Amino acid sequence: MSFLNLDHLQKSFGSTQVVHDFSLSVDKGEFISFLGPSGCGKTTVLRMVAGFEEPSEGRILIDGQDVTRLRPNQRQIGMVFQAYALFPNLNVAENVGFGLKVAGVPRSERASRVAEMLELIGLPDMAARFPWQLSGGQQQRVALARALAPRPRVLLLDEPLSALDAKIRVSLRNQIREIQQQLGITTIFVTHDQEEALSISDRIVVMHRGIAEQTGTPPQIYNQPATEFVAGFVGKLNLFDATVLDRASGLVSLAGSEIRLNRPIPPGRVSLAARPEGLVLAETGIPAEVTGVEFLGSVQRLRARVGERDIVLDRFNTDASLPQTGDRLHLSPELSRWLLVSHEQ
Amino acid sequence: MKRLWSWGAIIAGALYFLLPLIGTLEFSLRMRRGEYSLDAYRSVLADPAFRATFGYSVAMALLTILLGVLIVVPTAYWVRLRLPRLRPVIEFITLLPLVIPAIVVVFGYIRLYNTSSLLPLTGSATGTNLLLLCGYATLALPYMYRAVDTGLSTLDVRSLTEAAQSLGAGWVRIIGNLILPNVMGAVMSGAFLSFAIVIGEFTMAALLNRPAFGPYMQLLGANRAYEPAALAVIAFAATWGCMGLMQLISRLASVRRTAR
Amino acid sequence: MRTGWNWLGVLPFFVFAVLFLVLPTMNIVIGAFRNPQGEFTLANLAGLSAPRIVDSFAISIRISLASAALGCLVGFAMAAAVVMGGVPAWLKAPLMTFSGVASNFAGVPLAFAFIATLGRVGLVTMLLRQWFGINIYAMGFNLLSFWGLTLTYLFFQIPLMILIITPALEGLRREWREAAEVLGASTGQYWRMVALPILFPSLLGAFALLFANSFGAVATAYALTGSSLSIVPIMLFAQIRGDVLQDPHLGYAMAFGMIVVTGIANLAYVIMRSRAERWMR
Ligand SMILES: Nc1ncnc2c1ncn2[C@@H]1O[C@H](COP(=O)(O)OP(=O)(O)O)[C@@H](O)[C@H]1O
Ligand SMILES: [Mg+2]
Repeated sequence: MSFLNLDHLQKSFGSTQVVHDFSLSVDKGEFISFLGPSGCGKTTVLRMVAGFEEPSEGRILIDGQDVTRLRPNQRQIGMVFQAYALFPNLNVAENVGFGLKVAGVPRSERASRVAEMLELIGLPDMAARFPWQLSGGQQQRVALARALAPRPRVLLLDEPLSALDAKIRVSLRNQIREIQQQLGITTIFVTHDQEEALSISDRIVVMHRGIAEQTGTPPQIYNQPATEFVAGFVGKLNLFDATVLDRASGLVSLAGSEIRLNRPIPPGRVSLAARPEGLVLAETGIPAEVTGVEFLGSVQRLRARVGERDIVLDRFNTDASLPQTGDRLHLSPELSRWLLVSHEQ
Repeated sequence: MKRLWSWGAIIAGALYFLLPLIGTLEFSLRMRRGEYSLDAYRSVLADPAFRATFGYSVAMALLTILLGVLIVVPTAYWVRLRLPRLRPVIEFITLLPLVIPAIVVVFGYIRLYNTSSLLPLTGSATGTNLLLLCGYATLALPYMYRAVDTGLSTLDVRSLTEAAQSLGAGWVRIIGNLILPNVMGAVMSGAFLSFAIVIGEFTMAALLNRPAFGPYMQLLGANRAYEPAALAVIAFAATWGCMGLMQLISRLASVRRTAR
Repeated sequence: MRTGWNWLGVLPFFVFAVLFLVLPTMNIVIGAFRNPQGEFTLANLAGLSAPRIVDSFAISIRISLASAALGCLVGFAMAAAVVMGGVPAWLKAPLMTFSGVASNFAGVPLAFAFIATLGRVGLVTMLLRQWFGINIYAMGFNLLSFWGLTLTYLFFQIPLMILIITPALEGLRREWREAAEVLGASTGQYWRMVALPILFPSLLGAFALLFANSFGAVATAYALTGSSLSIVPIMLFAQIRGDVLQDPHLGYAMAFGMIVVTGIANLAYVIMRSRAERWMR
């Protein structure tokens, strides 16, 4: 039995259903990301877990306890909001100690716990400051400490980094992950940024239009996207016009070259695809004409045309000279890493 | 639970506000013994003093709005554009009329502008009217300033001004043709409140002895039984009617502007 | 070179404010310390200690405190109901418009309305007697009393409160409530520890404003009572009209006393606000 269970959750606002049959099992100490475009229902699922929205259907279990009908203040959950949401009238220490105070924890115990939390987030000297005296990154760390102080069973973070500058975003996400692992707290992290989700999660749930399209580890999501949506949303994806020669053995033909996928092709409409870094150049193979070249430092990015399709190809920056626009190259059918993505019905 | 409390507060409040209005309406119809009639209204409307004083107060209200706009809009604009450091001072001054009772202010007028002073405004009817007008503009100042300042805060005053200047517009043009139309909604909401303040104002008009609607109502109230209730109904209805009319005009004006 | 002339833009405003707000007030304040010969004196202020005048200040302050406190309470409840109480959203616009008018359009017609409603033959008085057998006048109620006047003043105090506090309530962010809730706070704890402290400056300001508002109100009381009820503004009104106090300079002193009372109310507000706002910029 896993620690947190979302069991066939559904949610409608009026007549529009924004979450469809959402199920998920989270192990204790696991770090799960909800990844998806804006409006796909990530926040709604998170708010159902927190208790701010009541599911239209389904159940939520924490540690075996059915909390579906419990009020948010009875659930022992920690939550961090996108826009900090620190109490402006309380200083840092009072903010962090808020949950302990309402729980009736004695003053001395509270003070030592607050000090411990401020140490954990690396702001031990800021106890007496008010929120307006802190930077955005500092405020968000205090919000994290505030959420963690009462030792919640589950930590929920709703796009906690999206209001911050790019640099702080990276350092803070690493800090969040470190703290999470140190405390071993079960965590759900909502984001629309694929890099964020890939870099810090144990598992990712890719959401689209209120549906969990795929759940898996970051390498699974990236290397074996289950649907075209997942493949296109997580990383860049090139699609090709290929013809199936043999479904059972996985043989297709692309621009005159045969490609052996060495696995059966699933029924239904599928596309042949490849990541930009999965395409490998060779002396012979699938012909491609270079339409543009970008030099990105560690990577060379080529834009090319294969048949009717425009594709992108990334190579590490070696000493080899840069191809020029108009050059004719070949993609290797054997060395390139091909993906199959199914289309939505 | 929460909703129950809310509805409770709303309904209790609505009762408190509606009962006096209903009570007034009912009372105003009671003039003829044993049956409801419009006699009280007939009596009020037939009184030439009613028409004279009401007309006087409406005129004063409109002039007050005009004076208020002339004083407040350029000032609020200029402070935002060039003198942001003066804002707290201006804000403080505009709040003073809420703190200093009107009766004190008008008492000061009577002493300061009497016939033996440098500026003997109370010496003539025109002078006293002018003084009353300025008094009304003072009373309306807090509402007018706040409304206009809020309206300006939604505009990027600096860029608008610089764009207009680069096209060669002068100050009068900028304020009249650019700023004013853009804060028209805010000006209107300030104007509604000014209108409501002035139309029934009693203290200043009574102490300056002007034939305004407020003192007329008071006088009638002291001498009659049912007419005052009818007058109150008429006053409420007239105020709402005037405000509705102004809203309509401003809406038409804004429609015309956007259509252009 | 141009910045030196910037102040010219606000000159009309300052001229207006000085002529019609500052100078008249100063004139009263100075007059309070002068005898008819124009010499400095404290005799006018000493005259304020006459029992009649002390009583009038006492009753005025009591009515203003009561109507400000009740106005704040009821206005807050109504505003909170509309802003966050889950009642239909369309209720807000009419309530705000009504409040805008009712908070100002009070004066004489308001007195008529309450006479017609709660006077001796008013609608509510009669209905209470006919339907429930309750005679409020036999029970000691009087429109021309402390409670009568307070009840009447609430008609403009409550709307004023609604106008002032609604923006402040709308400034309370949903996340604050949710953060408190998810941290285990009950609704009461949220209000006590977060919402009310944040609203405290606005509430104080509203109270001071409501106090001054009813302390200076003349029209309603005058139309209700003539000059029979001796609250301060009525006495000053009568004094200005006809020198009933014999000593014209006592009028200056009373007006000065009114400024002092509303001034103290607002000073208290400023001081408490600066204390409450140590967490603000
Ligand atoms: N309280 C609500 N009432 C009506 N619709 C809502 C409400 N909350 C969210 N929605 C709708 O539900 C959908 C999902 O919203 P949300 O969960 O916030 O998406 P995300 O967090 O993934 O951006 C959106 O289309 C949004 O408009
Ligand atoms: Mg969201």
